[in-house]
Amino acid sequence: MKKPRTLRFWTVVLSLVLVYALVKWGIPVVSRQITGLPFPLTVPGTLMFIYMLLTIIALFLLVTFSEEHLAEFLDPIQRFLRGEYGKVTRALGLIVVPGLVGWQVYDVTIPKVQQPSSLRIQHPSSNFPKKNEDLKNPFASPSDAEVDAFIAQAQANEVSFIPQLLTDLESWADYTEPAHMLEAIATAPVRTFLRELQAGSVSRTSARAALLEKHLFEGRALYSMNCRPCHGDSVAGDGPMADGFKLRPINFTDNGTIETIVEGYTFWRVSNGGPGLPTEATPWDSAMPVWKLNLSEEERWKIILAEYDLAQKTPRIPESH
Amino acid sequence: MRCRMLGVLAALLLASAAAISAELPSGPKPGATDASLVQGAQIYLQRCSFCHGLLGDGNGPAADALDPRPRDFTLGTFKFRTTQSGELPLDEDLFRTVSRGLPGTAMQAFDSDLIKNGLDEAERWAVIDYIKTFAVEFEDPELDPVENGLVVTLPSERPPYSEALVAEGKEVFEHAKCWECHGKLGRGDGQESFDRTDDWGFPIRIRNVTHPWKIKAGTEVEDIYMRFSTGINGTPMPSFADALSEQERWALANFIKSLQHQLTDHQVLKAHEIEGEIPPDPADETWLAAEPMDVRLTGQVIAAPRWQNPSIEMATIRALFNQTEIAFLIQWDDPFVDVTHRGEAEIDPQEISRVGAFSSYVAANGMAPRQLETFRDAVALQFPVKLPEGTKKPHFFRGDSSNPVHLWQWHSDQDQAGYPEIRESNARGWKQPPKVQAAEAQQVSANASWDQGRWRVVMRRPLQTEDRNDIQFVKGRFIPLALNAWDGSNGEHGLIMSLSTWHSVILEAPVPPTVYLYTLLAVLLSGGLGLWLVRRERLRLAAQN
Repeated sequence: MKKPRTLRFWTVVLSLVLVYALVKWGIPVVSRQITGLPFPLTVPGTLMFIYMLLTIIALFLLVTFSEEHLAEFLDPIQRFLRGEYGKVTRALGLIVVPGLVGWQVYDVTIPKVQQPSSLRIQHPSSNFPKKNEDLKNPFASPSDAEVDAFIAQAQANEVSFIPQLLTDLESWADYTEPAHMLEAIATAPVRTFLRELQAGSVSRTSARAALLEKHLFEGRALYSMNCRPCHGDSVAGDGPMADGFKLRPINFTDNGTIETIVEGYTFWRVSNGGPGLPTEATPWDSAMPVWKLNLSEEERWKIILAEYDLAQKTPRIPESH
Repeated sequence: MRCRMLGVLAALLLASAAAISAELPSGPKPGATDASLVQGAQIYLQRCSFCHGLLGDGNGPAADALDPRPRDFTLGTFKFRTTQSGELPLDEDLFRTVSRGLPGTAMQAFDSDLIKNGLDEAERWAVIDYIKTFAVEFEDPELDPVENGLVVTLPSERPPYSEALVAEGKEVFEHAKCWECHGKLGRGDGQESFDRTDDWGFPIRIRNVTHPWKIKAGTEVEDIYMRFSTGINGTPMPSFADALSEQERWALANFIKSLQHQLTDHQVLKAHEIEGEIPPDPADETWLAAEPMDVRLTGQVIAAPRWQNPSIEMATIRALFNQTEIAFLIQWDDPFVDVTHRGEAEIDPQEISRVGAFSSYVAANGMAPRQLETFRDAVALQFPVKLPEGTKKPHFFRGDSSNPVHLWQWHSDQDQAGYPEIRESNARGWKQPPKVQAAEAQQVSANASWDQGRWRVVMRRPLQTEDRNDIQFVKGRFIPLALNAWDGSNGEHGLIMSLSTWHSVILEAPVPPTVYLYTLLAVLLSGGLGLWLVRRERLRLAAQN
């Protein structure tokens, strides 16, 4: 019966090591498989403490289950203390264990040079004005009157564009001598609308689609002039200015960014920028400008329209609707 | 079996290591069709036209603010090719540029493998078909680089990167006179003035080859080799294909690769404690004992006038302190020493700062003069006035109304009458210029030097001052620190500058004696316990016998 006796001790040691390894490395590895995120989710220190405490309690129950069990568990320890595994082993053990304890205590007590990090709330709502919740982008769903006005403009070939586009449109028109200025917008809805216009039978549906294309055309130009330096050509938060900011510009193609918020929220964020954020969103680290100081409301809405379109996302619908 | 597996693995590794293979298309470009041109035109409108213009002439609405200016496709002149100098690019060259973009410029990657809403291979080919319609040169079979044998390939023998190869490349760098433009240390400081322009008449800035994030067409040895084997069309950069052998160019590419700076990746600057005097000379060797921290800077795009063409994109900081003083060494690359300042040349930002202005960005050319002897070089360290409680700080861009910042601003034009080399000021946001502190409150001193395309500035101050508008340096605390920088000959002045976000500096406190006490106690206790157990066991055994 000598073998199982030493076994009891090693079972306890092995169980402790196994549980520790599972919590420390196993859970993070599995979490990557489950979440599909490119980084593991580590177990917080307090949870680790609870797991290990539970394991120790369980092992304690196991060991003290009977006198016999306890004796079996203690036997290799007593043998070690008596020097039955060799005097050198005993001396080593008596040096190494206090050494490890000392190292742990030193590691815990020494002050660490670590940047104080703060949890940051990305979409804070504590100071979000509730009236913005139901704001709709006026350029996403133009009224019938606006569509009719657009048809009238198109029939007279007098569609108006934002001033930022005029230079480019004029040199394009000089060179290509188009039949209609809307030909500059080389997309299918505009082509359909122009065909209908030529045939003299325009429908509001195709006019509305063409008007949306015009707004997107303008929005993309404004986006590229104002937002692209940080948020990037493809709204992926990787513009040429992005690397200098500790808080990286938001990648709008990520799930969980602009599609989880209502349009009114996007408008509020664009208008008030970093300084408009509440404390929980660390406004002091945000490079987002206060765009209401430089862009008109129309310009901001057109940019938001183009931004969602480029990201291939749609805004969240307000809950009251 | 195992050997074969290893062989396959090695082959895979080699394949992924070949830098230019990743951007290669799966096959040659399919021929242009009516459908591909319609598709290409739509993609071009949605993704390219706002920079490159509806006519492909590089005059889109965003173009004026950009340097380098977006490519004008109408001349058929393309910078980054694998064809001989002055020739048209290969389809694959255009594909590579569209796929991986040109780092350091506004041209970004459009590969759908890199960007979620990017373009797949067919879409990229379609837009390339469309782009090629802008230049008649692509229709001329006599100019076709493939048909006419004008393709440049990598050398057949490409020895791996080694010290010897780098040394060989350095010699090539010397005798091919690369330094005449790029500078002895590759910092782009070889010319005394910049009078170089590209084919479109826009000023050319000589590349600082030590900053890999600004290397447009790839940072790998293969990419670098191609640049001086093909030249950069439309710019003063020639091809060295005739002047240098393949081996020499390969060695040179390895040498250029060796110059690339590796950025540090920490956000906390550890101030190093020394005994005695802090050396005033920025080149003093004592500074080497302090751990450097690279700080990335970016254009000031937060408030009008916005600036997206900063020339200072990285500065390296070190800090030393003793019993009474703290000093910071800030160094950054700048090819020209700008020590004059003409206030009348500053731009009036009023017009571009109002709501609904045409643009709130400063144009790359023709707005702020980007020339020598106009604006001074400068750098500023920024600290919060009050040490933050918790994580709350002033805004990184000049603070805000309730959280002021303390600025130490050094100017290069100290020789100008009545203007101090360095001055302390306070700011509460960017709307008002920083308020200069009273003369008796000025306690920061500076020493600066410029050598081989690099400024080095030392700023020093007592750790503690009496002034309540000053930052006070306390050991063991994380003290937020940010940088502002101006390159005068890049047109920078006022808010037209580069800036960093908050980093921290810490003056390491000595380890408290309690740490050693606790550790010693723990060792003694656990050691004593062990010995006591041994003794107890021995006694128990004796009692049993």
